[in-house]
Amino acid sequence: MATALLESVESGPSELDRSAARRTLRAQIGRLEGHLSAGLCEAFPDRPLLPELPGGHAHLQSIGELEELRDAQFAAVAELRAWLADRELRCADASRRLGLMLADPAGHRRERITQRELGEGGCGVWSVVPRLGPLGRLTGWWLVKLSSGCPLAT
Amino acid sequence: MAAEQPAARRGTVDRPLAAEYPGLRLDWLVADCLGSASDPGVAKRLALLADRFSGRQALALRQSPVASAYRSFFRQIGIDPDSQQTPAEAVALERLQRGGNPLGGRVADALRLAVLETSVALYGFDAGAVAAPPMIRAARRGEQAGGRALAAGTIVLADRERALCELFTPPEGDCAAGRHSSSVLLAAIGVDGVGELPVAEALSIAAGALSGG
Repeated sequence: MATALLESVESGPSELDRSAARRTLRAQIGRLEGHLSAGLCEAFPDRPLLPELPGGHAHLQSIGELEELRDAQFAAVAELRAWLADRELRCADASRRLGLMLADPAGHRRERITQRELGEGGCGVWSVVPRLGPLGRLTGWWLVKLSSGCPLAT
Repeated sequence: MAAEQPAARRGTVDRPLAAEYPGLRLDWLVADCLGSASDPGVAKRLALLADRFSGRQALALRQSPVASAYRSFFRQIGIDPDSQQTPAEAVALERLQRGGNPLGGRVADALRLAVLETSVALYGFDAGAVAAPPMIRAARRGEQAGGRALAAGTIVLADRERALCELFTPPEGDCAAGRHSSSVLLAAIGVDGVGELPVAEALSIAAGALSGG
């Protein structure tokens, strides 16, 4: 019994075992790719910078290569999730600041919040500006305006 | 009345690869190519399809069932799909960069139309330059495709005599279908998660566009 165990350890895993390990790793890689795609779609229109994943020509990857890729994907997914969580916090903060601006424009003079900071698409900017220009500045009459959007292409 | 389309046939996947990737398959057919210029009907369809892609939609493509299956498979065979896009993402990216679907002659248009409609990996070879049937196998030591040396073990599309191109890389050189081709061997590569139907549809759309539009 002990001899058989020793032999099996010394000879290493059989091709059948290695094939099963590769299959498991490929399934993990497929799932992680799905998580990455979903996260990047959620991040749009932002494009978070993620660690580069290994890649090259089409070939039957060894267990080592598959493990390296799987680990790199894990790291990328973790980084992407952290980035998304951080963006959610930043958006919540921007939304809170916009609420304060709307409630008391005069108390937040010249403040600006972009649509992107709010996690929304487009190029709009919320800003506190004086009503009727110099007149509003002199009388302390401020209001919140949303700019009309993206500049036209030239 | 439209001419009857040739039936698709199943190509061989070399046994070690078939054992590792049970979902990997190759369907092919030979279609007549009626002329080299872009077909007006196909050009119109490509123009209509160009409206389908915005930046968000192009990105969301990677989550569609067929395109995501190719992305996963690319990773599983060592290709980085962010550097070498899947066929559907490549045509979507080109659409965004060029502001429309470019016309490139009857063969290129037919392939583009089929990929846009189905997201299936589809390639065209000059039927006169290929010794059918095509197959998927690993490259042998010292083998070349399109004038480029292949690392041994690279997964390739091959005919009975030689490697034609690396898997998921458009063919180059004499075997690539183009304006000179009177008949085109269409090869569609299926992977796990890509059903028979989109693959058959891709071949049918491309064959139809080649032989009449």
